[in-house]
Amino acid sequence: MTLSKLMAGLFAATILTAPAFAQGYPERQITMVVPFSAGGPTDTVARLVAERMSADLGQQIVVQNVGGAGGTLGAGQVAKAEPDGYTVLLHHIGMATSATLYRNLAYDTLNAFEYVGLVTEVPMVVTARADFEPADFPAFVDYVKANADSLTLANAGIGAASHLCGMLLMQALEAPLVTVPYKGTGPAMTDLLGGQVDIMCDQTTNTTQQIKAGTIKAYAVTTPERLPLFPDLPTAAESGFEAMQFGIWHGIYTPKGTAPEVNQRLSQSLQKALADEGVAKAMADLGTAPSSAQDATPEALKAKLEAEIARWKPVIEAAGVYAD
Amino acid sequence: MDLLSNLAMGFGVASSLANLAFCLIGVLLGTLIGVLPGIGATATIAMLLPITFQLEPVSSLIMLAGIYYGAQYGGSTTAILINMPGESSSAVTAIDGYQMARQGRAGTALAVAALGSFFAGSVATFLVAIFAPPLTAIALQFGAAEYFSLMVMGLVMSVALAHGSVLKALAMVVLGLLLGMVGTDVYTGAPRFTMGMTQFADGLNFVAVAVGVFGIAEILRNLEDEHDRQVMTKNITRLFPSREEFRQMIGPVLRGTGVGSVLGILPGGGAILAAFASYTVEKKLSKHPEEFGKGALAGVAGPESANNAGAQTSFIPLLTLGIPANPVMALMIGAMIIQGIVPGPNVVSEQPQLFWGIIASMWIGNLMLVVLNLPLIGLWVKLLTVPYFVLFPIIMAMCSIGVYSVNSNPYDLFAVAFFGLLGYVMSKLRCEPAPLLLGFVLGPLLEENLRRAMILSRGDPTTFVTRPISAGLLVLSLAILVLVFLPQIRKRRDEVFTESDA
Amino acid sequence: MSTKPKDGTDIAAGLLFMAIAAFFGWQGLGLEMGTSTRMGPGYFPMVLSGLLFLLGAVILVRAFGRPDDEPFGRVAWRGIAFILPAPIFFGLTVRGLGFVPALFITTLIAAQASLRMRPLPALILAVVVTILSTLIFSYGLGLPFRRFGPWLPL
Repeated sequence: MTLSKLMAGLFAATILTAPAFAQGYPERQITMVVPFSAGGPTDTVARLVAERMSADLGQQIVVQNVGGAGGTLGAGQVAKAEPDGYTVLLHHIGMATSATLYRNLAYDTLNAFEYVGLVTEVPMVVTARADFEPADFPAFVDYVKANADSLTLANAGIGAASHLCGMLLMQALEAPLVTVPYKGTGPAMTDLLGGQVDIMCDQTTNTTQQIKAGTIKAYAVTTPERLPLFPDLPTAAESGFEAMQFGIWHGIYTPKGTAPEVNQRLSQSLQKALADEGVAKAMADLGTAPSSAQDATPEALKAKLEAEIARWKPVIEAAGVYAD
Repeated sequence: MDLLSNLAMGFGVASSLANLAFCLIGVLLGTLIGVLPGIGATATIAMLLPITFQLEPVSSLIMLAGIYYGAQYGGSTTAILINMPGESSSAVTAIDGYQMARQGRAGTALAVAALGSFFAGSVATFLVAIFAPPLTAIALQFGAAEYFSLMVMGLVMSVALAHGSVLKALAMVVLGLLLGMVGTDVYTGAPRFTMGMTQFADGLNFVAVAVGVFGIAEILRNLEDEHDRQVMTKNITRLFPSREEFRQMIGPVLRGTGVGSVLGILPGGGAILAAFASYTVEKKLSKHPEEFGKGALAGVAGPESANNAGAQTSFIPLLTLGIPANPVMALMIGAMIIQGIVPGPNVVSEQPQLFWGIIASMWIGNLMLVVLNLPLIGLWVKLLTVPYFVLFPIIMAMCSIGVYSVNSNPYDLFAVAFFGLLGYVMSKLRCEPAPLLLGFVLGPLLEENLRRAMILSRGDPTTFVTRPISAGLLVLSLAILVLVFLPQIRKRRDEVFTESDA
Repeated sequence: MSTKPKDGTDIAAGLLFMAIAAFFGWQGLGLEMGTSTRMGPGYFPMVLSGLLFLLGAVILVRAFGRPDDEPFGRVAWRGIAFILPAPIFFGLTVRGLGFVPALFITTLIAAQASLRMRPLPALILAVVVTILSTLIFSYGLGLPFRRFGPWLPL
């Protein structure tokens, strides 16, 4: 921990001695492209950090929603934008999965962007309808394995968090459930509440309040450690499902060719925003936490993206589902 | 009584000076932006949303609710004045409202819309307050099979929207359904009818289609012969409805309120059917169904009430389940989350101030809308005296901005031009746009729920008749179908007889 | 044939519906049909295309033997030539030229659709619309549009 703090300090020091270009940046309003529609969970994360980053940068960051095609339209727009630091992209795990899900992407995911840093990683929870029989996660595993062909698994559409988690769940349990896709989380959650479908694995953002109200049943979380939010909920790894460790991570990118000083400046500002108590509290309400200072760096995001592309490629190819 | 004390607390919250002010600002801004052509409620809210982020949670949501009602009302105004609906619901208002405006009765149409909306809004607000939790339990009984049957009912009703040939109206509905298929298939991810353009992966933009087939087509029709175009304002007799007209609107408003309230509760998108359903009901009950499509008062009063009641009760799934019933509600959820309130089933008990405050402010907002808009009617009608050749370039500019602002997608603007042309050609061929729009809205829901119901029932099609709610809706659809086609068949038989007599 | 009454408008409408149906049917050929349990992406569109084709055919057949009751009227060629390109132009240039010039030219193009619009009033109208819209949307509401885009040497 102390080492990482030292590292962060070193970064800060390099920024102080950075060339004049970065000193002058930013001189005008910055556009943060969110490749999803306004009001969604990603938009919420973006607006949270954009507000605090604006305060630090001394220039307004405006969020622009460029929704469509699982986030690839917005990402494509930023890939083509001028690399002047005035157009940035906030995208989630879809940045990595769409590299495989979309077979003719308009940009080369690994070579079209520069990196600013990770923002947050939202945990996932395996849930089921309120009257689902099994009492705990081990019982859930046995039950699902035994009744795979009669149980239904909801997801919010191809590429959605619940779709990714569903694929992992089915592979981990070796249980080919009947998947029922929906258009968005809202209708999927409605049917889970109404008991029309059996199982869904989704972000804490969408599930926390329902779990607390007892309207759906939670079985396990996908984080390495238990969540402070649900101390009684085991991790999937505790039951031996190591592969079921993942979260919906969000990162900030700039177009390829953006000066390193600019990315560092943005990263520094991002770290400040993430250290803000208000941001931490708002994120805690959503069941997540701000990324640490060493994760909110260009290096950490680059490593994350590369690792995640490699990780999801075989999973998606094995499922044989593509979004194009 | 618990309810009364809760409502009192709500009014206490909502009537603080600051909250009243935010409600007023919201209603005012919503009306002013929503009245711009091509900018509907969704675009208005997306534009104004960031303004509300700086406020306290309750104030922010009160202002947002105000914006929502204001935008809806503003949208109806543009639908009536220039035949340019920004939402599926105001597409219905446009049918008869615009005809009334052409007859010099724009003021009456606007007043009827305002009063009907206010009444429906007030009643629905109390429904929300009293019945929210039990109604939610019923709404959850609706699964894929029920929604499919509901959509079938919507389609059957859509035929009543036409005042010309039923066959052509049916063809337009099917064309609308097909257009609704454009985009990525939800189940397999396969792109359909996108011509390889990823910009259409999420389907055609509703506003682009609506603005095209209604608004742009109308502009082109007006440009056909500029010299003898009638001036709409020349025969305006009065701005407000006569006593006789007041009497006429009571029935439609009451029925519209009922229909809208019931449909609005369904989280799977029942509210979009509200206006269409009310139109069908009114046309069936009317002694003069032939007036519909040519400026029938009931064709404005009913759907507008239904629409507003549906808008109000669609807050029920949002507040009690934490689930948005439509894109606008999704924006509200986003606003709540940014304010640190994660909507869920516990909002009512954990945040009573918020819940009841919003409910009370709904009513206050509706009151403000009426007070604000009745005097504004004179101004709106005055707008019609602006020469048309000045008006339509402004309309084109506004709808370009409006359509683009939703998703920053230039292809949505290309779609506006394409559907403008299609709408114009169709209107030359005497095919009406309203059924097409309904088909377009219902298409994805119909297909999605059909396929989902078949998956859930493991391929057993009897699921639609063995589930009681679904079966009931199908029986109702059948009844409507008979009611719609019986007069037609009878008329045809009469024609045959008269011909053979001759 | 020519002496028999026929409804020209409905003939055109029927043919257009059939053509559209054929187009959707042809485009949908490559889509999987699936089974009735798990319908493929092509199932529903194919049913709809068939239905639309049928409806078009019925409209076409019934058009014969019935007079056209309403004249087709003039076609707004000038309107088509100037109204429809306006939003297309805005879409093509709003990012490159920026909001202000794109909107100005869009309004100017749309204004040409009317014969009654003279050049000077058109110019004044475009200026007023652009200024007001920029004030309302860009400054007032803070929409994330660039006022002047990278194509301009500013």
